[in-house]
Amino acid sequence: MPRGANAVDFWRGFALVSIFINHVPGIYFERFTHRNLSISDSAELFVFLAGWSLGLLVKSSKTGNGAAPLAFRLGGRSVQIYAAHILISGLALALLAGAAQLTENALILEWHNAAAFFQDPARTQMGIVLLTHQLGYFDILPLYVVLMLVAPAFVIIDRFAKPLLVPLSLALYFASLTVPFTAPAWPVEGQWFFNPFTWQAIFVLGFVLSRDEGLGRIVRCNIKTIRYVAAPLVATAAVLVWFNWFPDPTRLPEPKLLFLNGKSFLTPMRLLQFLALAAVFSAAYPAIARFLPWLTEPMSLLGRNSLYVFCVGSLMSLAGQIIRSLYAGSIAVDTVVVIGGVALLWLTAWMSEWRLRLGHKG
Amino acid sequence: MHGPQPLVALLAAGLALAAAAAAAEMPPDPPAVSKECGEARIGDKPLPNSAAALQKRKQVKILAIGSSSTAVLGTTGRSGRPPLLESILERTIKGLDVEIINRGFSGELAEAASERIKIEVALNQPDIVLWQVGTNDALAHVPVDSFNLSVASTVKWLQDHNIDVILVGLHYNKQAGKDPHYQAIRESLRRIATEQNVLRIGRYEAMEVLARTSAGSGRPEVEDFGLSEAGFNCMAQYIARTITVGLFAKPPKQTPTPPAPPAPDAK
Repeated sequence: MPRGANAVDFWRGFALVSIFINHVPGIYFERFTHRNLSISDSAELFVFLAGWSLGLLVKSSKTGNGAAPLAFRLGGRSVQIYAAHILISGLALALLAGAAQLTENALILEWHNAAAFFQDPARTQMGIVLLTHQLGYFDILPLYVVLMLVAPAFVIIDRFAKPLLVPLSLALYFASLTVPFTAPAWPVEGQWFFNPFTWQAIFVLGFVLSRDEGLGRIVRCNIKTIRYVAAPLVATAAVLVWFNWFPDPTRLPEPKLLFLNGKSFLTPMRLLQFLALAAVFSAAYPAIARFLPWLTEPMSLLGRNSLYVFCVGSLMSLAGQIIRSLYAGSIAVDTVVVIGGVALLWLTAWMSEWRLRLGHKG
Repeated sequence: MHGPQPLVALLAAGLALAAAAAAAEMPPDPPAVSKECGEARIGDKPLPNSAAALQKRKQVKILAIGSSSTAVLGTTGRSGRPPLLESILERTIKGLDVEIINRGFSGELAEAASERIKIEVALNQPDIVLWQVGTNDALAHVPVDSFNLSVASTVKWLQDHNIDVILVGLHYNKQAGKDPHYQAIRESLRRIATEQNVLRIGRYEAMEVLARTSAGSGRPEVEDFGLSEAGFNCMAQYIARTITVGLFAKPPKQTPTPPAPPAPDAK
């Protein structure tokens, strides 16, 4: 039986719906997603909750047979995510090719970093398989693959040298920002959109904060005080984003990545604002569950089936862009895209659990 | 015995040196653009910041950003050679070291590129930003006002930071000619370039002319050509020519404003 609605699944479902909407640029409803008042966006929430889920998994398997089976399980999960990524990348390329054929407009083949595939298929196909070529908006799963591949190392450090995990993770994070370095792209010159050396930090923090010991315990014991500090930070960030009051990046001291607002490198400004946001909004779930119960169950359903929902959502976002391009985006078209897309996300999650239920009955 | 030969040799050497110095002062001929590339409107606006970089350090740093970078830098082949744009510029301007920072991302919209441009400028300090922009905003039906705001404010920001800007305009295809939104975005970009006095490569216009002249000639469709290796290499040739002209163009003369006539009551 699937687990009942809970805060982690709810917020993960929330992140998935936000990602689906934000990945249709220009759509009317993107102005209502939380990134309009927040430095961080749903990508941070998604990766943080992935780390959190890893923590819950480790906790639940503590009575198991030790690190090796857990490492195999995480490796298996990594392969599953990799397979999902390759599948949706192939489907996305086919969608673009189909749209270009249908409209007789070859310019669509340029969308989302797809141009390289259609111009130089041999090398780009290798790049896709090696994760060094990623389509735009299809770039978070490669990060997730790498994080799950490295997850056994996180778990082993956590088990045998617990106090070292966060310092090691932050050391890598600051080294990547200071030097700076990231994962390269190929065959098109460039770099990964999500720098795995910096984004691992939010995954590790999610992992550590989900636990009832160490840093997780300290935060839980002091959450009220932390919220008093976090709330003004969240409010200040909202004002900065709303009025676009960010410092000129050229005038910042070196190393600039420590001070500017950059998503690819998950700069400290974004990481801190996200942690503050998480601290403040972690208090909101009980109220949401009480006053909006009709919302918590479907959102949690999405969150429980996040990989399937993410994959379908990514393809729906792309389909939404094609629809907007064909029918000249208007509020009516955008409403159809959002309602149709969210309904399909829900159907995907429901079918996934229905299949499980059938399996149990069988 | 001292004959006249040493004197002649000295004179010849002096003349050769003077000729070399004069040649060094002379701007190089801008690289030609192949016939099959059509005729894009190439401005002759100066690139003062890059010209200063050329004088000072014999190096020009170009940040290529926005849509598909291959389309503006030219192809590199399979051997890891530098992009065509870099080779043409280094061949044309003796002693010039061109550094291209490629941050292109095919399909990127103007708003997303605007944010990235500021960060990349802060991290890499380029002399020229080569921004291919407009096609994807037009296809994604980004409102014209939003597009205009993103591009105009970013161009102004770059100018305020003493960085030369070259805008590479929209692609051409038959559907685009009939799409009012596409044309509105194209017009918006043209207006920004004029009002803010920045260089714009009129790719659409070049390809449109090419389409007219090559109709029925048995050559590949122009829209296919624009997205082919040959088309990308044409774009690199146009940009190399634009940059060469801009590096040696004289800034427009400031016509001194005549002194205001004395006010009648001024004594």
